[in-house]
Amino acid sequence: MIEFKNVYFQYPHGGASLKNIDFKVEKGEFVALVGENGAGKSTMLKLINGILKPINGDVVTAGFNTKNTKISQIAKHTGFLFQNPDRQICCQSVKEEIMFSLNLLNDMTAEEKEERAEKIINAFSLNPDENTFAMSRGEKQKTALASALASEPEVLILDEPTTGLDYRECTAIMDFVKKLNKEKNITVFMVCHDMEIVMDYADRVIALAQGEMVDDDTPENIFRKKDVLKKAYLLPPQITELASLLGGEFENCDSAEEILEVLKKQRKGEL
Amino acid sequence: MTGVLDYSKGNSIFHNMNPVTKIIIALCICVAAFGADNLLFLAGIVALDLIIGIISGIKEKAFSIFKGFVKISVFLFVLQVLFVRSGNTVFLFVTDDGIILAAKIVLRLMGAALPLTYMLTVTKVSDLSNALVKVCHVPYKYAFTITTAVRFIPVFINELDAIIEAQTARGVEFDTKNAFARLKLILPLCVPLLMTSVKKADSSAVSAELRGFYLRKQSSGYKEYPFKAADILAIILFIAFAVFGILM
Ligand SMILES: Nc1ncnc2c1ncn2[C@@H]1O[C@H](COP(=O)(O)OP(=O)(O)OP(=O)(O)O)[C@@H](O)[C@H]1O
Ligand SMILES: [Mg+2]
Repeated sequence: MIEFKNVYFQYPHGGASLKNIDFKVEKGEFVALVGENGAGKSTMLKLINGILKPINGDVVTAGFNTKNTKISQIAKHTGFLFQNPDRQICCQSVKEEIMFSLNLLNDMTAEEKEERAEKIINAFSLNPDENTFAMSRGEKQKTALASALASEPEVLILDEPTTGLDYRECTAIMDFVKKLNKEKNITVFMVCHDMEIVMDYADRVIALAQGEMVDDDTPENIFRKKDVLKKAYLLPPQITELASLLGGEFENCDSAEEILEVLKKQRKGEL
Repeated sequence: MTGVLDYSKGNSIFHNMNPVTKIIIALCICVAAFGADNLLFLAGIVALDLIIGIISGIKEKAFSIFKGFVKISVFLFVLQVLFVRSGNTVFLFVTDDGIILAAKIVLRLMGAALPLTYMLTVTKVSDLSNALVKVCHVPYKYAFTITTAVRFIPVFINELDAIIEAQTARGVEFDTKNAFARLKLILPLCVPLLMTSVKKADSSAVSAELRGFYLRKQSSGYKEYPFKAADILAIILFIAFAVFGILM
């Protein structure tokens, strides 16, 4: 679904760059992209849907090489959530905003669009008539995400989807994304600074440091590699850290429940 | 991210001049451009502007700004030529008077606008406002307003670019070749642009106030902006130039 072939990119004036980026994401995967501030994560996302074009190498998204495809063409197959929702929202009310997204696709009837909008508004517990310009940061984030998800694109590109959201909203939204990912086989490519979320939702993690890929592995594995964590300045979820500190039987535990299981077993063995 | 009007670092004679001198030079060139009525002299002013740009070590930027103005000028030139009816017909409905008048207008516009933009690229905005307060005794409130307005132009442009980028990513066809179709798509975006800009201005005002904006007096700035010999010489030279321009 998304393929980077030995990509090199640099901004015209900036010194920062992306080097030797090479990976392939299959349909239906849930990938998290992690790395320090300024590592080039948002830049990489913009390369995926063709807003930026690679200087060397190729990026292929949903079967289109971004070098010779119009962005609006790729956009019909991708949903994109920007880091700053202010720039994405351009309509007066939440409903209009979501309809605006749906109206850009022309393979749905009016009723279908209405239904879709209704569904997403309910799922995100939004108020359809709320004024988008007077909303809080978190509400804007939700609205922008809702309008990106409404069209159920083949590829979902999310730049820090959970910033500004409280814990309850965060899990509600990530559960929704995960459901889309599982049920409709939508590919998700997400930048996230919250390793707990990465651990809970992603199937695969790509770690970026200073514009280079340092690792590409499952979250369970990556959070146990000390050198990778150090290079990309990542703090693993506390449970994983605890598990590796405990070692032995606990080494491979990834949740509190698993640790509890091992503890119970140990106790039974001792009794 | 460096916009065209952003400050360019450097150590040229123009960088080291008193900001007020730079304003005076720019204004003198403007006066000369509007006062002069000689086609050659007007072309000379544009050339002088470019030379100033090169001496300031902002050659690339100077030419990219110049190119931008050339684009506007071509449009203006055609418009003017179409509307002037007097003089002898050169071909179709174009008259010699029309061509000369259009050329003068275009050169005047460039001659006056270039030095103002170059001045902004070789002067730090903070220096500009501080010097206005220290040397010209402009109240800080007004100096701050002027310089903030100037500083907002590139912010505005970057913001519009970012909004267009975000909307293209949603599937709005901004990448169409048709300029009119694109213009029609940009218009609705003015709403979010205005909203974010007003909000930005509002939060700037609040944070300025929180940091004691109203306590600031003329003596609050620690940097002094004395006139050096080079400044005085440059001012005399360019005032003479402006007078010469009016007489031309
Ligand atoms: N339009 C631009 N022009 C020049 N340089 C840029 C531009 N956009 C970003 N950069 C630079 O590229 C680098 C990577 O930026 P990017 O936004 O991809 O980082 P990021 O990994 O998303 O960081 P964060 O976690 O803070 O969102 C930064 O050093 C930034 O200054
Ligand atoms: Mg980013």
